[in-house]
Amino acid sequence: MTSTTEAPAEATAARRGRLRLNGVRKALGGKEVVSSVDLETEPGEFLTLLGPSGCGKTTTLNMVAGHLTADGGVIEVDGRDVTAVPPHRRSMGMVFQSYALFPHMTVADNVAFGLRMRRVPAARRRRQVAEVLEMVGLDGLAERHPRRLSGGQQQRAALARALVIQPDLLLLDEPFSNLDAQLRVRLRDEVAALQRRIGTTTILVTHDQEEALAVSDRIAVMADGVIQQLDRPREIYLRPATDFVARFIGEVNALDGTAQGPAADGYACRVAGRTVAATPAGEPPAEGAAVRLYVRPEVVRVGPGGVGSGGVGPGEVGPGEVGPGEVGAGGEGLRGTVRETRFLGSRIRCVVATPAGEVRAALPFDARVPAQGEEVTCSWRPSDASLTAR
Amino acid sequence: MAALGRLADGPVKRRAGTPRRRTGLLLALPAVAIFALLFVAPLFTLVANSFRTQTGAFTLDNYARFLGDPFYRGVLWNTLRVAALTTAGCLLVGYPFALYLRGRSPRVRNWLALLLLSPLLISMVIRAYGWLVVLGPAGPVASVIAWLGLTPPQLLYNDTAVLVGMVHVMLAYMVLPLMGSLDRIDPTLVPAAKGLGAGGWTCFWRITLPLSAPGMLAGAMIVFSLTASSFVTPAILGGPKVKLMPYFVYTQATTTLDWPYAAAIGFVLVVVTTGLLLGYSRLLRRGRGEAVFG
Repeated sequence: MTSTTEAPAEATAARRGRLRLNGVRKALGGKEVVSSVDLETEPGEFLTLLGPSGCGKTTTLNMVAGHLTADGGVIEVDGRDVTAVPPHRRSMGMVFQSYALFPHMTVADNVAFGLRMRRVPAARRRRQVAEVLEMVGLDGLAERHPRRLSGGQQQRAALARALVIQPDLLLLDEPFSNLDAQLRVRLRDEVAALQRRIGTTTILVTHDQEEALAVSDRIAVMADGVIQQLDRPREIYLRPATDFVARFIGEVNALDGTAQGPAADGYACRVAGRTVAATPAGEPPAEGAAVRLYVRPEVVRVGPGGVGSGGVGPGEVGPGEVGPGEVGAGGEGLRGTVRETRFLGSRIRCVVATPAGEVRAALPFDARVPAQGEEVTCSWRPSDASLTAR
Repeated sequence: MAALGRLADGPVKRRAGTPRRRTGLLLALPAVAIFALLFVAPLFTLVANSFRTQTGAFTLDNYARFLGDPFYRGVLWNTLRVAALTTAGCLLVGYPFALYLRGRSPRVRNWLALLLLSPLLISMVIRAYGWLVVLGPAGPVASVIAWLGLTPPQLLYNDTAVLVGMVHVMLAYMVLPLMGSLDRIDPTLVPAAKGLGAGGWTCFWRITLPLSAPGMLAGAMIVFSLTASSFVTPAILGGPKVKLMPYFVYTQATTTLDWPYAAAIGFVLVVVTTGLLLGYSRLLRRGRGEAVFG
């Protein structure tokens, strides 16, 4: 997929492909699978629906594609209401988890299918098929039948088939889940790069949080039929808005405390008798309200614990820890005792027992490794931690 | 990790495969023995008999007599025609039914499959006599036509009566392989085709129908060969006018006692039916991609 073929879609696609869902609902077998989904994409955006199985993400995608009809709500593409439009009259390029390549047709015929349906003349059809196959790196395999392709090649063929019709939206339903780990990473990066180049608005459905973080412009985390949080990957990761998002994506330190009030850089709260700060996920809480902080291990800094006053003082900065400009930015920090440290290659895992519970930190590999039993202070930048009502 | 690696190791797998293949042969043995003993051996006897005179000398007369007689050639043609029409009838009735069954719950499917198989639970003779009553001059069909103020046509003792009776019995042999074939089609193929702009009919003609070809082929082969060799139903419902090959095998063997000639008629039917089915399957195979049969 490194070829430089200019897809005819490139010029126009960037300006179209604005998808809007408004209060979309769907019940399947008497159970509400999608409760009320609202979202809007920018043209050219790569948006991911992320969630565990049964969260309604695939159902949502199928309603966008038209394979399922919404029970309520409105689906719009570029201002056109498509809620009741059958799938063959929408313009969606979809890649299925099973790829859904037609086994009785060659790769070229599979790719040409959508063009045939659009009555594209044979000569132009052949040219477009050749172009898109080159774009996905399948030139030379046009006359193969799908069964004689590897998993990755089938995936590329399915992608080519979806892209050749220059769809309003590219819909990807767990397209990488049937590939082995290495190929999965390579193909997802290729797809992301290709998407950025041709600029087709893309909706990816996946349960793999790393995949979502790696390829998306924005991520909608879904659970129980609703979008829990819709934001850029960095915000989803560092500032989860709900307990579900915090725990579904990666590892997290959840700290319970009481709201204090706005601080210089975030919002201050008392946790186990110490003042720390974070950024409110929604409306700032009222003073004295019960709150919960979510802090990722990667943002936790472990500094030498001050005797007496505590907190991170200017003289206590060690290598790889709190930098000079950020001293004390997170409030006093949490004091505790190092319970264990482990070298994990890319990171050093450090578990600190504090009065607020265990705090897990993932330190850079070249950080000063605190000794077991050492008194330390855990701190973080308030902008890297999330504060939610409890 | 090491344990996982060993699971994927080639030689271990292959060594485990050998005893399994031997067990597989053992499993097939009873069926193969029955087939050899009760089909292949008698077939050889039949062929040998067909090249003999009544007294046992070698001759080609039996075949010359059959192929040289326009009456018998007509019977052969009529047999193949009825078999082909029955096959077509089963396909026309059975395919929509198999399509309907595809989307049903297992419970509904089981009940309907039982219904489909129910004609096979009744003796052929009883079933054929049942049709005699239904299609007879005083039967319900004739009554309804008369009630409408029309003269009921002759419903019995013609091709149509044989066709109705045969399709009734043979339907299950068509629908069951069709169901198997339809079930094997990836359920996302039709949505995929729709997403690419294909309407319902186009999806059917370009996706479902070609991919169910193996089931159609299997069903058609079973129905065609069973119909071409069926005796009871055509004999009862066809009456004196519709006479098919198996009837003449029967009369030659039991009435005329000309066993070699009966053997020759029987073998002609076997050869022609087999030849037609082989040609038919090759024809279908050629039109299909390797993915379906390969």
